[in-house]
Amino acid sequence: MTKADIIESVYERVGFSKKESAELVELVFDTLKETLERGDKVKVSGFGNFQPRYKKSRPGRNPQSGQPIEITARRVVKFVPSQVLKADLNDGFLFENDGPTAEDDNDADTGDDDDDDDE
Amino acid sequence: MLKSDLVNILVAKKNVTQKQAEAVVEVIFGSMKDALVRGENIEIRGLGAFHVKHYGAYQGRNPKTGEPIPVKAKRGLLFRAGKELKDRVNKPGPDGKVPPLSPSQS
Repeated sequence: MTKADIIESVYERVGFSKKESAELVELVFDTLKETLERGDKVKVSGFGNFQPRYKKSRPGRNPQSGQPIEITARRVVKFVPSQVLKADLNDGFLFENDGPTAEDDNDADTGDDDDDDDE
Repeated sequence: MLKSDLVNILVAKKNVTQKQAEAVVEVIFGSMKDALVRGENIEIRGLGAFHVKHYGAYQGRNPKTGEPIPVKAKRGLLFRAGKELKDRVNKPGPDGKVPPLSPSQS
């Protein structure tokens, strides 16, 4: 799936023109990027959280030469899928498998998907 | 930022009603979720890629009793930030260093 498919869904299901749908989808993703750029997190309930993380500098190695180098401090984005998404990802999947059935699958705790867990 | 903030931004910046904006945000993340549940990967240029990873079933063990237990096959989700997002998030300050996040942000 690409952005074009998402725009198509908005066009078909919400009833905006193709052009309007494209603009709205772009605005949502631009806002997401802007927010993370500022260092703030984005929580999309039912889908997941995008959280910026700060990584301290640490020693590393050039994998080719083995030479030690410093990995500089940096910010990265971590995506944490919501419990709902994780559960749904596995529900349909388990039914397709001949392994244990979905009925005895109780690890899908569909509780709070807005948790603030830190690292 | 929450989903409701995204909705408000759409209303403020585009000529759409609250209801329409809510529908747009729901459809965007809903269609993404549907694709992932179908086992499809998603790639959004500039933002990143979501990859559905299959983990095979294996014979595990209860670490306490040593009793063998079958571990079911499952699917996990990996996200890799795209180049634009990576660079924008990791922008060095005037001193050439990337500032740590303020406590309220982490």
